[in-house]
Amino acid sequence: MKSVLIVDDAMFMRYTLRKILEKNGFLVVGEAENGLLGAQKYGELLPDIVTMDITMPELNGIGAVQLIKQINPQANIVMISAMGQQHLVREAILAGASNFLVKPFSEERVVEVLNSI
Amino acid sequence: MSEILDEAVLQEEDTQKGKFLTFLVGKEEYGIEIKYVTEIIGGIQAITEIPDVPEYVKGIINLRGKIIPVMDVNLRFNKEARDYNDRTCIIVIDIDELSVGLIVDNVAEVISIADADIVPPPDVRSGFHNRYIKGIGKIGSEVKLILDCQRLLSTEELENLDYIN
Amino acid sequence: MDKSLSKEPMLEMFIFENLQLLEQLEQTILAHEKERCLENAVINEIFRIMHTIKGAAAMMMYDGISSLAHAIEDLFFYIREFHPDEMDYSKICDIVLEGIDFIKNEIGKLEQDQEADGDSSPFVENIGQYLLQIKEASRNSKLINEAAARPAGHRKKFYISTSKSPPTESIKRYHALIYFTPGCEMENIRAFNLVHKLKDQAEQIDYIPADIIENNDSVEFIRENGFAVIFSTHLQQEAINELFMKEAFIDSLDLRVMEDEEWEIEQLRARNQIVLEEEPSVRNNEVREIGANLHSGSTRQSLISVNVDKLDRLMDMVGELVISETMVAFNPDLRTAAKLDNFHKATRQHRKIINELQDIVMSIRMVPLSMTFQKMNRLVRDMSKKLKKNVELVIIGEETEVDKNIIEHLSDPIMHLIRNAIDHGVESPEKRASLGKSPAARVYLEAKNEGGDVYIIIRDDGAGLNKEKILERARARGLIQKPDSNLSDGEIYSTILLPGFSTCEEISEFSGRGVGMDVVLKNIEEVGGTVLVDSTPGQGTTISLKIPLTLAIINGMRVKVGNSIYILPITSIKESFKAKPDNIIVDPDGNEMLMVRGECYPVLRLHQKFQLKSALKKIAEGIIVIVQNDSGSICLFVDALLGEQQVVVKALPKFIGKIAGISACTLLGDGRACLIIDVANLINPSKG
Repeated sequence: MKSVLIVDDAMFMRYTLRKILEKNGFLVVGEAENGLLGAQKYGELLPDIVTMDITMPELNGIGAVQLIKQINPQANIVMISAMGQQHLVREAILAGASNFLVKPFSEERVVEVLNSI
Repeated sequence: MSEILDEAVLQEEDTQKGKFLTFLVGKEEYGIEIKYVTEIIGGIQAITEIPDVPEYVKGIINLRGKIIPVMDVNLRFNKEARDYNDRTCIIVIDIDELSVGLIVDNVAEVISIADADIVPPPDVRSGFHNRYIKGIGKIGSEVKLILDCQRLLSTEELENLDYIN
Repeated sequence: MDKSLSKEPMLEMFIFENLQLLEQLEQTILAHEKERCLENAVINEIFRIMHTIKGAAAMMMYDGISSLAHAIEDLFFYIREFHPDEMDYSKICDIVLEGIDFIKNEIGKLEQDQEADGDSSPFVENIGQYLLQIKEASRNSKLINEAAARPAGHRKKFYISTSKSPPTESIKRYHALIYFTPGCEMENIRAFNLVHKLKDQAEQIDYIPADIIENNDSVEFIRENGFAVIFSTHLQQEAINELFMKEAFIDSLDLRVMEDEEWEIEQLRARNQIVLEEEPSVRNNEVREIGANLHSGSTRQSLISVNVDKLDRLMDMVGELVISETMVAFNPDLRTAAKLDNFHKATRQHRKIINELQDIVMSIRMVPLSMTFQKMNRLVRDMSKKLKKNVELVIIGEETEVDKNIIEHLSDPIMHLIRNAIDHGVESPEKRASLGKSPAARVYLEAKNEGGDVYIIIRDDGAGLNKEKILERARARGLIQKPDSNLSDGEIYSTILLPGFSTCEEISEFSGRGVGMDVVLKNIEEVGGTVLVDSTPGQGTTISLKIPLTLAIINGMRVKVGNSIYILPITSIKESFKAKPDNIIVDPDGNEMLMVRGECYPVLRLHQKFQLKSALKKIAEGIIVIVQNDSGSICLFVDALLGEQQVVVKALPKFIGKIAGISACTLLGDGRACLIIDVANLINPSKG
């Protein structure tokens, strides 16, 4: 069972993602509400996968990807993006993100992406 | 008695249609839809009286930590008050989040009555005055008066009743 | 019986979080509105909150909400990125506030299990137009339009290939045509992702469409024609196949090895439309800026949200614990036991711990009134603007806490009272000037704790109530029977609380239909409170709401009257003694009174009040207890005092209704239900 860390500043998104992941056989080992905490939690938990929101206070998704990649260059990070954030997704990919999902997403897409990692 | 109590309490929602709990008030037998009944307490326990309430509201009792009011059905039906004895029971009914205990003289059994066997109550002109009866249920040759729980507990009725009296 | 069905947890979460965000946003806007400009931190906050709401609403498919949030997000994105000069800050605040209202309204519908089917398109259009306006007015407009419109494939620029080496034996060249899963979105970036991953394993990568970085039109192209990549690599075909297919959202892959000729042709084709590849530029400045906005306005305590049902159960259990503690400590079996010193010591400690537990649990349910009070800021602002009156809202004591269950019942009444104050109480600025009053009218919203009750006071310095008019109307509607001379001012003013008092003429845009003072009274009475109206003509009106702290565990004194036991709250007892029959005075109306140290107190025989026949009737045989509260003191005559004990206050069953002299009930150690005396009501039967 793959372990996942959910990083998103919206409680609702964290909740929704958690429900989807747990239903589909993933183990959610932690949540964080901004990029900084996300990176910190990554270091503590070393999950298999991280889902990372892009727009967050304190440290956004791209910054967090950079930090996490420093902890573990092999880290698997999936960006959660909104429409219209192409530039940011691209930068996240360049920073080392493995893949991305566009909101609003369906359960199937979440599963597909996470299974592909 | 305990078998009736167990059976009454354990029934599932969807098999409750057409099932009635029958009990004695004075000399008449009444029936109440089992779906309203949450519990039957055998025997009268300490009732705490309350001032300034209608005569048929006997007071409040402690039902496992919950405080519920109890009503003497005899008095509610304007009959003569009867002494409580060891067959007197309290039927606890629950409607719209209102819980009330009905003090009745005896609890008989749970019976099934098909919708077709329930007819409207007789007209007032025929001398039938009990406004709390929803209908008449026929079982074989016997007749049970089916109670209208909502009316029984309705406080508007309470006020009107006092006014008329 | 069961409570009403709880909503889906996801919907509850959606409602909870987004309402919170909206409140936060509203407070921020209101606080900053008066300034001439919006700081970066504020702009960022607005952007972020709307972005979050948009995302969540889109997930739940509430298009009205998400499109409106999106529109506001776009507006603030522009403002944030380009800092336009010409901005109407008042209009921007209005836009945001209107947006907040719309979304709040939609969420309100969801709370009522209705559809969030509101149409936000008029707002979206309005915002879109305004955005265009400021774009045109701004000098930056040209630059943006240029940046956005770079078409793919129309310019010839040069491509610097990563490698120019000719193919060796072990290197193969491939052509891959990929179609992405329909609906996966941002296909151009998905393509970019693929290429990025390919770079580790392949060289001489070219692809069509070329501009998968800047141009979003390539999305359509890729959707229709697929994404074509040509590259050279050591890897075998299976390996490449695997590499591609492992990626998410690949609908189909057409992979084949290319011959030399084909390779060159394809390469040329690809190169003729490729744009200069940029160096990755991580937005360091963005990261820093966001980091700097850390502490502005976010004072985060460590909070969790707990389901209220769980709190209710916790409260109930603590209540039962208190009762069971009494049943242990006062157990009849103990009467026969001899030396119990150690036992008593242990029970004292036991009680101490339980008391503390009870305090903590009660405090969990207590919520400060701040949120409710702060909401009124918006109301006052809107009304002042619309009615062209100058009104200042002064909030005092908002940190006062009230049980969570109650707070929901207070919002509407308070809102209504403030509306009334501004609509009918506060005079126009001209009138105030002519009366020599300060130009800004004040409405005070105050909360305070006093003796187990919470007082919420709404006071205005407006015109006050017109006693004569009220009296006239009350008589006309048959609401008063007593002759005028017998009516106190308080009683006259209180008639406005009676149903049927308000008329059609009073309905203004704000006061609404049918939401009269009687509804306020009903709401307050529902939580066991009372409403007091007072006024001074020409100076203002004061409405006081008295709310008891429910689910209290109080210290009570058990008193015996006949065969019944009642509880008197200890806080109300002043003293108790055996009276001498000679000290009782009877007045011409037959009322008994008692002189105690020069003071005269009325005597109330509880056995009479509660119609208990088996009680002691002789003064000499029973006990007198002097009870008191703010309005006065009286002497109660009871049979005996049985002892102190803690009791859990339980409301009288709804079926019973209100009983004079009784406030609530409880369960005693022996399991019997017992009534709690309402001292205030006994002292003052017309109020309390």
